[in-house]
Amino acid sequence: MATTQYTIEHNPSYALLKLSLGAEQTVMVEAGAMSAMDSCIEMKSKAKGGLMGGLGRMLGGESLFISEFTAKGKPGDVYVSPGVPGDIQHYYLDGSRNLMVQSSGFVAADPTVTIDTQFQGFKGFFSGESLFLLKVTGEGNFWFSSFGAILEIPVDGGYVVDTGYIVAFEDTLSYDVELISGLSFNGLKTGILGGEGFVARFSGKGRLWIQSRNLYPFINFLNPFRPVKSSNDSD
Amino acid sequence: MKLDLLHQPDSAIAKITMAPQEELVAEAGAMVAMSPYMNVSTTLRQGKGGGILGGLKRMVAGESLFLSVFRSGNSDAELFLAPKLMGDILPYQLKGTELVVQSTGYMASTPQVDIDLGFQGFKSLFSGESLFWLSMSGSGVVLLSAFGAIYEIDVAGEYVVDTGHIVAFEKTLDFSISKANPSWIGSFLGGEGLVCRFRGQGKVFCQTHNPGAFGQLVGSKLPPR
Repeated sequence: MATTQYTIEHNPSYALLKLSLGAEQTVMVEAGAMSAMDSCIEMKSKAKGGLMGGLGRMLGGESLFISEFTAKGKPGDVYVSPGVPGDIQHYYLDGSRNLMVQSSGFVAADPTVTIDTQFQGFKGFFSGESLFLLKVTGEGNFWFSSFGAILEIPVDGGYVVDTGYIVAFEDTLSYDVELISGLSFNGLKTGILGGEGFVARFSGKGRLWIQSRNLYPFINFLNPFRPVKSSNDSD
Repeated sequence: MKLDLLHQPDSAIAKITMAPQEELVAEAGAMVAMSPYMNVSTTLRQGKGGGILGGLKRMVAGESLFLSVFRSGNSDAELFLAPKLMGDILPYQLKGTELVVQSTGYMASTPQVDIDLGFQGFKSLFSGESLFWLSMSGSGVVLLSAFGAIYEIDVAGEYVVDTGHIVAFEKTLDFSISKANPSWIGSFLGGEGLVCRFRGQGKVFCQTHNPGAFGQLVGSKLPPR
């Protein structure tokens, strides 16, 4: 199968993914993320992995449906824009290892790639962070997005990341979530989401991607500016 | 200690490479990622405005109560720090001089920098945010964060800056806070709230965007609390 041609433009703050499909080539894209395309491209909404898979994706904070784009009869381009301003990273799965991606990080993938949600259980990320990660397996291209720029950290041994800043990591890395007291502000609510000092402690050897911004502190910043409900409305 | 600023200006993130036994103080919540053996503790800065009361004041002003202290311990260590909003980071070298920083503009500083809670200005009537300043003295580096890009104004004589756009200024400058427009109605309609009038010689660091104005624009369209 021909490898998917792509370019990432305007990164790291306003990244846009341009996929150049060959004739009859198909690519999977996050539902609603297509911004422009050639007229020969056909779009089909599809929940990958059946109903339960779709449900899992919904619980993971990811939209229920993934759209499929196929170039009919001749080559064509699809532009994909993630919902949040930030960066896009390409990753090629060679079948030797899997990729774990933060639940809202999916942008696009080859159809040969399988995306499943994985409940992280009590090991998961707390406090508004998703309890789900996307587990990406198979062989092919995968693109993921961030809020702010993406930085790659080659982990050999260990690394500590605030849970809100994790974008993706290879599953050769394992992690535990813990609370670091020097980062936490017990009992003093600093905001509505996050800020409790939860970090993921990674160990092993593999690549890890972090983002330079976190959506929750940004939401917390906006929260005090919301209008206050007057007592008349409260019934 | 080595400082690399990456992805400036919109998505700026600071990578700090520390030698053994080095220390860095940062605003609570600024830590993105770090080496596994980094030692982290919280601190309340003592001083004129420090201590518990200072901490409370800081909380009232929307600033976190604690600062985090990062220590590299016996090995080399890496630390990534990032601001909350989209924007730039500016390192400022203190050499026995003093710098006044708007509370939201402080991100981190080296341990020889003294952080004092400055005066609590007064509430801006229109934005609801209180003006609150940190006074930095001693020697070392202060990392400032901004909403948008940072630009510098060399004041010689007099200059006027909207308070929502000030990140920091050198204390060699005298300043007073006043309304932009002589009439209250005029300043209200003009959208211009309070301005800082600087006098003397020194630098003012400004941010291209006003967080309060942005917060009002977006926040007022959100469902009520």
